[in-house]
Amino acid sequence: MTGKNHSKPAKRRTTLTLPVDTLSHAERIARQRNMSLSSVVAEALDEGLRVHASTQRSEEVLKAYQQAFSGLSQEELMILDGIILEPASARQA
Amino acid sequence: MIDPASGPFLFDTSAESWLARAQQPAVQNWLRQYLALHQVYVSAVTVLERSRGYALLWRSAPEERRSAIEARRIAYLGQLGRVLALDSATAVVAGEIMALIPQPPTPPRRSHSLVESRSDRLSRWRFDATIAATALVARAPLIHNNPEDFETIRSAIERSPGRFPGLGPLELLRCAALA
Repeated sequence: MTGKNHSKPAKRRTTLTLPVDTLSHAERIARQRNMSLSSVVAEALDEGLRVHASTQRSEEVLKAYQQAFSGLSQEELMILDGIILEPASARQA
Repeated sequence: MIDPASGPFLFDTSAESWLARAQQPAVQNWLRQYLALHQVYVSAVTVLERSRGYALLWRSAPEERRSAIEARRIAYLGQLGRVLALDSATAVVAGEIMALIPQPPTPPRRSHSLVESRSDRLSRWRFDATIAATALVARAPLIHNNPEDFETIRSAIERSPGRFPGLGPLELLRCAALA
């Protein structure tokens, strides 16, 4: 096993069309931080994709949650909350 | 409003289902924000209560409704976040709480012609004590929808700090105050 392939992520050259203002902003940050424009854009893209993934995960969990508790009566929801109800008449018998 | 970023929080059994069913946009938005930042933390006791609940519903359902109940159970278990185990530290703290308050502070629940037995009420009280102990040991605020029970536990812990060395106070957050 070698760690050779894990030292740096693989890169690929591509062409993007970006809004002028966004590009100017990224260039300004690159100059301020003494970084390449590619690094700044990659960092911003990573952050955006992370937020996107979090939002997607949040929606999936919320949907599953809503499904788990949907279409149930009040008594059934109480049972799911750990409140076990029996007919009062059965208890008196 | 409670900042979702200040989590993670431990969700009590009834709080978890209340939030999942909430129709108010503000509450749904709060839960969305929370889920984008953190997992839902629950005690293993909540999974026990929920699992028993789905099993009871399945057993009492007519044949044609069983697959719908099972789909709900799978949806619940499929999205489970972080489940905090009932470990030795939690067991010790839960035992202390149960000894401090042996009887439930509120009577058994009723709904129409249905009633909770005294033994089931006592079991549920002990489950609540275990969930509170889980929050204390994890040092996580507890989101709840059951102020009578959990405020009683919080006050008892505050009156006996010597029995809970290095722990507490029990931080409680009510569902209604989240959003």
